[in-house]
Amino acid sequence: MAGEEKILHVRVTAADTRALRNLLRDERLDVGGGPAPTPGPGDERSIEAFVTEEKALGLEREDVAVHVLGDATAIGRARQEEVGTGDRFADPGIVPHGLGQKVKDQSREG
Amino acid sequence: MYLNITEVDSALVNLSGAYPSLCELIDLPETSVEGVACHALRLRADPDGGPRDCAVFIGGVHAREWGSCEILVFFAADLLEAYSTGSGLVYGGKTFTAAQVAALLEGLDIVVFPLVNPDGRQYSQTVKAMWRKNRNPEYSTGVGDCVGVDINRNYDFLFDFATAFSPLSDVRVSADPCDPQVYQGPRPFSEPETRNVRWLLDEYPRTRWFVDVHSFSEDMLHVWGDDENQSDDPDMNFQNSAFDGTRGVDGDTAYREFVPKDDLDSASGLARHFTEALEAVRGKQYTAKPAFDLYPTAGTSDDYAFSRHIVDPDKGKIHAYTIEWGTEFQPPWAEMKLIAKDVCAGLVQFCADAPSTVTD
Ligand SMILES: [Zn+2]
Repeated sequence: MAGEEKILHVRVTAADTRALRNLLRDERLDVGGGPAPTPGPGDERSIEAFVTEEKALGLEREDVAVHVLGDATAIGRARQEEVGTGDRFADPGIVPHGLGQKVKDQSREG
Repeated sequence: MYLNITEVDSALVNLSGAYPSLCELIDLPETSVEGVACHALRLRADPDGGPRDCAVFIGGVHAREWGSCEILVFFAADLLEAYSTGSGLVYGGKTFTAAQVAALLEGLDIVVFPLVNPDGRQYSQTVKAMWRKNRNPEYSTGVGDCVGVDINRNYDFLFDFATAFSPLSDVRVSADPCDPQVYQGPRPFSEPETRNVRWLLDEYPRTRWFVDVHSFSEDMLHVWGDDENQSDDPDMNFQNSAFDGTRGVDGDTAYREFVPKDDLDSASGLARHFTEALEAVRGKQYTAKPAFDLYPTAGTSDDYAFSRHIVDPDKGKIHAYTIEWGTEFQPPWAEMKLIAKDVCAGLVQFCADAPSTVTD
């Protein structure tokens, strides 16, 4: 989209739990899906977030480091190319298949 | 290729057509905000058998977490095809025998609702990939981030978060209609998408298990999400207003949410079985743990589903879970298929083991 703000996928690493909690209290961060702060090394705790480029720069503090993992906007645009167009199941006779292998065995005999 | 919203629906319709004796297409009572009709599938072998316990699986709640819909479509397709051909299911290093598949479909009702939020998915897949909420324009200017409600904050659980939670808790919810991620809506169940999920739980009163499929963080979460768990003080609970203003603080003892030890053991045991089966596929290690970690949530589906029997003793107890698959919202499709295989193996194991956890 023209004019869409670039969103970066970042990992924010704080010196300890208290520093991470302080950061999350001060900043409304899009922390993605599950709250998954990961520990270590030492007392460090990190969390992934999605922030504008400008905001990413502003998160850096004495006890907080920001590491850019990727350009979420560009990745999102690339993935949109991997979405089906039309309807691959428009014909009612086309039955979806899962990803498990169906394997015959003797367990249902008798 | 990922499924677009038309395809998620037509895939379900075609499954119901291909296996008429094993499944039933469910019309959800409400269309989405933008008028899209929603379907679920109920799987059961031996359809004339009596009432039985039910497991409800939902996905596609958060628009950008695309693969949740495919996971649930594949899960249903695998069970139906395996049962109807008398086969077992193999996912990488994890095998389920034909007898296990049969027992599962003959012993349980399985309800799969893969796309709760079609408007959001459509917007994410064609306009703004990072979109999360639904597309309701009603509550503010209806422009930009001021559109939409976070469906997974719109359930009736500690909805009045300003009263219920401690000001120190940084609860992950917002009353601001322009919050781009976690706007809760003006009241519980204000959104048709959320009401459809509640309708399923009401319509299938024998529901004992509920799983909401999200991404990401490679976790299998069980209750509670508002605070840490405790099993010693039944009075310290979400209904007790004496604890208003104290909830949601990490690492303290002023408030922790009560869950009876038996329930906690049962919930965490089944979550672990899910992660063990998932790991057997190709070695991915998901973590089984309570939803609360560092900061709380309010109005989520899992806490609501489990709280129903506490609020209303006439309702059945529902063990409720949230899966957070993968390490990004939209992996390349080739990677998404590997993740879907992992999660499907976990889900089959979950269904295979769930009935054995029933003690009451
Ligand atoms: Zn989600």
